[in-house]
Amino acid sequence: MLGLFGTLNMAARSLQTQMTGVEVAGQNLANVNTPGYSRQVVKIAASADIGTTVGAEGTGASVTGIQQIVSSLLNAQIQTQGGTSGYWNAQQTILQNAQNGLDEFLNGSGATPSASTTSSSTTDSGLSGQLTSLFNAFSSLAASPSTSSQQAVIGAAQQLATTFNQISGQLGAAQTAANTTVSTDVASANKLLTSIASLNKQIATAQFSGGTANDLLDQREQALESLSALTNITTSTGANGAVNVNINGQTLITGNTLTDTLQTYTGANGNLLVQTAGGGADLTLTSGSIQGTIDARDGELTTMQNQVDAFASNLISAVNTVHDSGYNSAGGNGNNFFTGTNAATIGVNSALANNPGLIQISSSPTNGGDTSLALQLSQLAGTTQTALNSQTFGSYYDATVAGLGNALSNANTQVTNQTTVSNMLQTQLGSVSGVNTDEEMTNLMMFQRAYEASAQVVTTLNTMMGDTLAMKTS
Amino acid sequence: MRIATNAYTDSMLSQFNSLASQQYTLQNQVSTGLSVQAPSDNPTAMANTLNYLSNQSTQTQYTANITTLQTRATNVDSVLQSLQTISSRAGEIATSAGSPTNSQSDLNNYADEVNQLINQVVNAANTKDPSTGKYLFGGTASGSAPFTTTTDANGDVTGVTYNGNSSVNQAQIGAGLTASADIPGANTSGTGPRGLITDSASGADFLNHLISLRDNLTSGNTTAITNTDSANLQKDENNIAYQVANNGVIQNQLTTAASFASSNSTSLSQMISNSSSADLMNTMVQLNQAQTSYQAALQSGAKIMQLSLLNYIQ
Repeated sequence: MLGLFGTLNMAARSLQTQMTGVEVAGQNLANVNTPGYSRQVVKIAASADIGTTVGAEGTGASVTGIQQIVSSLLNAQIQTQGGTSGYWNAQQTILQNAQNGLDEFLNGSGATPSASTTSSSTTDSGLSGQLTSLFNAFSSLAASPSTSSQQAVIGAAQQLATTFNQISGQLGAAQTAANTTVSTDVASANKLLTSIASLNKQIATAQFSGGTANDLLDQREQALESLSALTNITTSTGANGAVNVNINGQTLITGNTLTDTLQTYTGANGNLLVQTAGGGADLTLTSGSIQGTIDARDGELTTMQNQVDAFASNLISAVNTVHDSGYNSAGGNGNNFFTGTNAATIGVNSALANNPGLIQISSSPTNGGDTSLALQLSQLAGTTQTALNSQTFGSYYDATVAGLGNALSNANTQVTNQTTVSNMLQTQLGSVSGVNTDEEMTNLMMFQRAYEASAQVVTTLNTMMGDTLAMKTS
Repeated sequence: MRIATNAYTDSMLSQFNSLASQQYTLQNQVSTGLSVQAPSDNPTAMANTLNYLSNQSTQTQYTANITTLQTRATNVDSVLQSLQTISSRAGEIATSAGSPTNSQSDLNNYADEVNQLINQVVNAANTKDPSTGKYLFGGTASGSAPFTTTTDANGDVTGVTYNGNSSVNQAQIGAGLTASADIPGANTSGTGPRGLITDSASGADFLNHLISLRDNLTSGNTTAITNTDSANLQKDENNIAYQVANNGVIQNQLTTAASFASSNSTSLSQMISNSSSADLMNTMVQLNQAQTSYQAALQSGAKIMQLSLLNYIQ
């Protein structure tokens, strides 16, 4: 038999137990919007009973633990998914930059009522259109060798050269932006590694003294998720619940110790590479935004830059070869048409720009009115260039644009798909670990009612004790 | 399935984003009339459209070149008409002067008229193209007038020098197709385009033949006029007739090329439209669908967000 005091004790413990329930519900409600928070439930068990002559008699209930509801399977999937998302998001950003830099967009002035309407208002403001304009200006000069035709040629050539310079500059800026992104990402990864090692230590300390470090575990899970969005990592559970982190078999965190960090360096061919800072071991990253940015920078972006440069240098030499073999209307020669060697440096010879009359389109020093070289220059539009995969200038550039378009379109599709998968995983994780306010409110009421009931037990016992004491005085 | 409270807001946000971006894209397609604007929208269609646009712009240039050549051919034609008149008058003079009834004073009157004809021919042969300011009949040489004359004490033309050459400039009027409306003033090589005034292939040498006619009129050598000058002038007349006919051929060629360029341009417009234009009906229907979905998502979202157990706890 528990007796009056035993029962009072039991009621007091019950008050504490129900109070813990209210506390946990409160904690869950408070963290309903906390990213990465896993809901907690209070574990209540009946206390050990006492054997009596009439059978085992209960001693109430007590809290045996506050448990975090997590799914390590979903967490692992979210980490992997985060790496893929990070990779494609990074690619998308860089390629979007490159597409803007290329500035090759179609403009339209309104929808046509049906596809059968033949009048098209579509125009193109980029390099492709300007290249055609230059060839057309040469064609016009051949047909009508007037001063205004000469100026039109110089104008078209200057516009083309400026666009080349701008594109080259923009692609260069995109490359610089990619470098900055990679170094920022590497710095973030190193910071996350430091905090994961430190969380390992805190968690070990907390759990050594018998507690459960639920909130620290959430924080570490968040940090691991952020880290895997940056780079692919492999984790394993070590002693005292610590998470060991390694990349490509290179250990970065063992237990509480941060053994190495990441750094980037430039390879022999100008590509960005990642290695461990201390050990200097090369790392082959397979996912995450660091590798996404590097792949876009050293892949499509470099290809673009090379193709635009090849396009510019072949155009310069093709135009100059024809132009330099000719004479101006006064029989003079010796001026290049284009100066420079690539997209960054291409320009119209300033001597011609200042005096369009110096254009050399006559095949003979004595035939000043000859325009046969202007005709030849305009026909370069349809001439295939061996150095440009045996394509014409126009089709080579169109293919370059389409190449970038394909890469970006692929990245866009991947990002959309990954977002869908990611949302689905988050919903699934939410259904396990997320807080539902209705549920917590119900729990709150449940514990409140139980607390009220236990308090009623205390009141009853108080009355009973009063009654017992009154027996003596009366 | 257990649903976390934030799952509503998270999924609603991502649905709103996706629907808003759909509407943005469709609205943009309606307002620009284009289904492809950036290379990533549809890389193949973009490359095709750029190719068609460039091709169309080239066709427009062909049309411009054709117009330039047509104007020049018309200018050349009017010069040819006046040369034809001069040539037939010179032929008449040569025929009339051969008659034995003519006195020397009649012949002198004819000689004066021929002098005027010579000046008219020189002026006509030195005509400039009004659009470029270049001489029409100087070949590809530039600078001085194609025909310069030497005169005697009376101001009569005694000799003619041609300063041009026998080449002509070609202009592009179609893919792989060039044409020229120019005629060189003289061609003594016997090959290439026939000269306007002097042409060794046809034996034409209009100005020198006129000078010879005038000299024979002045000296009263009617035998030479009948035996030589008449025949020579006939060659000149034939040469000019050839040039008139040739000019007509070129103008026909230009008209054909112009209609070819124009129909090419039209079919390229169609191809550009097919590869890059948005179908307005279709796009509007899709936009309506997206708007309806957006409205439904907003309404249901707003309703769900208001509801919770808290509404019912007193």
